[in-house]
Amino acid sequence: MNSVHKSAYWFLAPAIILMIIIFGIPIIMALGLSLTDYSLGNPGANFVGLDNYEKIFTRSSYEKMFGATFRYVLVVVPLTVGLGLGAALLINSITRFGDLYKTIYFLPVMATLMAMAIVWQIMLHPSIGEINRFLQSGCEIGWLKNLLTLSFLGFEKMDTWFGRSCEDGMPNWLGDKDYAIWVVCFIGVWQGFGFNMVLYLAGLTSVSRELYMAAEMDGAKSSWERFRLVTWPALGPTTVFVVTISCIKAFQVFDIVEAFWTRGAGPSKTAYVMMYAIFEKGIKQNLIGIGASITIIFLIFVMMITLVQRYLVEKRVHYS
Amino acid sequence: MSGIFLKKINKSFGNTLVLNNVDLEIYEGEFLTLVGPSGCGKSTLLRILAGLESSDSGEVFIGGADMTKVKPADRNLAMVFQSYALYPHLTVSENMLTPLKLRHLSTLERFPLIGPFISREKRNELTERVRKTAKILKLESFLKRKPGQLSGGQRQRAALGRAMVRNPVGFLMDEPLSNLDAALRVHMRSELSELHKALGSTFVYVTHDQAEALTMSNRLAVMMDGNILQLGKPREIYEKPSDIRVAEFIGSPKINIFSCNVIKSNQVEICGFKIQGNFQHFMDKKISIGIRPEHLSLTNDRNCIKGIIKHRENLGSDFFMHVESPNIEKRIILRVSPEEALNLQVDAKVNFNFSQKYALFFNSAGKRVEVFDPNNITNKKIA
Repeated sequence: MNSVHKSAYWFLAPAIILMIIIFGIPIIMALGLSLTDYSLGNPGANFVGLDNYEKIFTRSSYEKMFGATFRYVLVVVPLTVGLGLGAALLINSITRFGDLYKTIYFLPVMATLMAMAIVWQIMLHPSIGEINRFLQSGCEIGWLKNLLTLSFLGFEKMDTWFGRSCEDGMPNWLGDKDYAIWVVCFIGVWQGFGFNMVLYLAGLTSVSRELYMAAEMDGAKSSWERFRLVTWPALGPTTVFVVTISCIKAFQVFDIVEAFWTRGAGPSKTAYVMMYAIFEKGIKQNLIGIGASITIIFLIFVMMITLVQRYLVEKRVHYS
Repeated sequence: MSGIFLKKINKSFGNTLVLNNVDLEIYEGEFLTLVGPSGCGKSTLLRILAGLESSDSGEVFIGGADMTKVKPADRNLAMVFQSYALYPHLTVSENMLTPLKLRHLSTLERFPLIGPFISREKRNELTERVRKTAKILKLESFLKRKPGQLSGGQRQRAALGRAMVRNPVGFLMDEPLSNLDAALRVHMRSELSELHKALGSTFVYVTHDQAEALTMSNRLAVMMDGNILQLGKPREIYEKPSDIRVAEFIGSPKINIFSCNVIKSNQVEICGFKIQGNFQHFMDKKISIGIRPEHLSLTNDRNCIKGIIKHRENLGSDFFMHVESPNIEKRIILRVSPEEALNLQVDAKVNFNFSQKYALFFNSAGKRVEVFDPNNITNKKIA
């Protein structure tokens, strides 16, 4: 080995050492713990092989965990990305009040979710919450009720969601297992799309004005055609980044579930998301082994998303 | 009856007047250059012609039809931009295919997956057109590359190809050569001229570079402060500028301007020398004389304008001497041949004069005035 190679390692050493301390060792420890039945405070632990993983993939509470997590990810990621892009395009196209809209949409991102959760909890309260009172008032306005129950199209009042709710009472948003995870999704979207909007706004500033002019000269008459030809490809790198960040953030959802249901992840565990499961098993119940194995599965998901992102950035959306 | 006609175009951005009642007629098949310093409104005028920007008032006629309110896509003009504006995610051939697809294929035929299937024949035809254009521009070997993998000159060609491929009635070019390096720029000048001759369509070319304007155009329009100061053939503009600003803008190095006094109705005085002419309208007014550097000549006669060389510029084929002369505020620039320059070092004393017929006279408003009887212009030297 010549001296140039040797000095390279010296320059790399600080970064590599930090990587090992911050990422490498904890991950290896988690991997090790996930193969044991260790509990905090116990003098030792038994090696249990893949038992923990087997439990995760066979027991019904973990099936609920995957169900809730994937529901959340599959709803929240497309919506936050789509709304973020939509809001950014709209704000970019107006000449006035752009800053005002930016602030409004970004406020939920800055707000503390725990505090916001309390406000939402009150608003979503089945009898005194604003949301149900508002919906209820819709039932009392004849034409609005007609419209929302689609009775003008000949539907019976029990055929539509709104009609049933008017008859049987408005839903118990946080207490009903049919609604719980979707309410969490809604709040995730409300809270998350402002951040994506800011990323897209930054991406939009780099799109050259001359490209739009060229597209117009070339015959792209509608704004949709110009969007397809210029804006969307130019936002490719931004989109890959935004989707990756949104996915990872969606897998990490925890605080809103913890704030709404301190005793356990929603009615019949319908909002039992992965992070919450790690917290419940590893910390609340002191089952470090199983907590660690959920963590490893979580890391594998995040790792896969990151690898897809790397591939897309390098092969598909990097033009120059 | 084609050609382009811009009528009484006005445009302001906020409080800034960018175009002030501009009239311009562009003949069919000509190469017309809009030249002027940055901020003179030339690019805005081009964009109004393209339809990318709307004028506050005025009309645009293309091929005899009123196109003032017509969308850019329907004007059948093509544009080449300074940044080339190639779509970065598409290959060169896809870039060139884009305007054809948008024009000749319906929305359904452009639809992904089923589109190519139902319009295969049309697409083959369009691809053939792209191939032909690429052959003319010698782009064939780059068709599969993306703009990011091309050099500046190749991108320039690809942008030209995208403009050419659909046979527009006119080409609009917004400083297309200014991102190229000097050698390539000179080369592309001749190539663009040849392309213009070969295609025979109208070219409207915007530039701030007077060399491009003088070398390529059939006619050029010198713009300043939102007005067209002069419109004419390159030679006419160079030799008979109608305005002192035109004289100063066109020509490199800049024209020498001497201010002088009218002493008699038939005589002005410059550095103690007299020029005969018809000055009766300019009595007691300032008048400026412009003389191009190549029209000043060195002489051994000591009775001429004197000066001291302060700076010499070697251009290889020519030398430019910057001379300071008593009684003249600005430095005078004169062109000398390399042989003459051999003996002339900085701080050398020189004498020079010029022939009367090259002197351009401008009144106090900056307009050029004729002072000589056109039938009787002499080659007489001033001293």
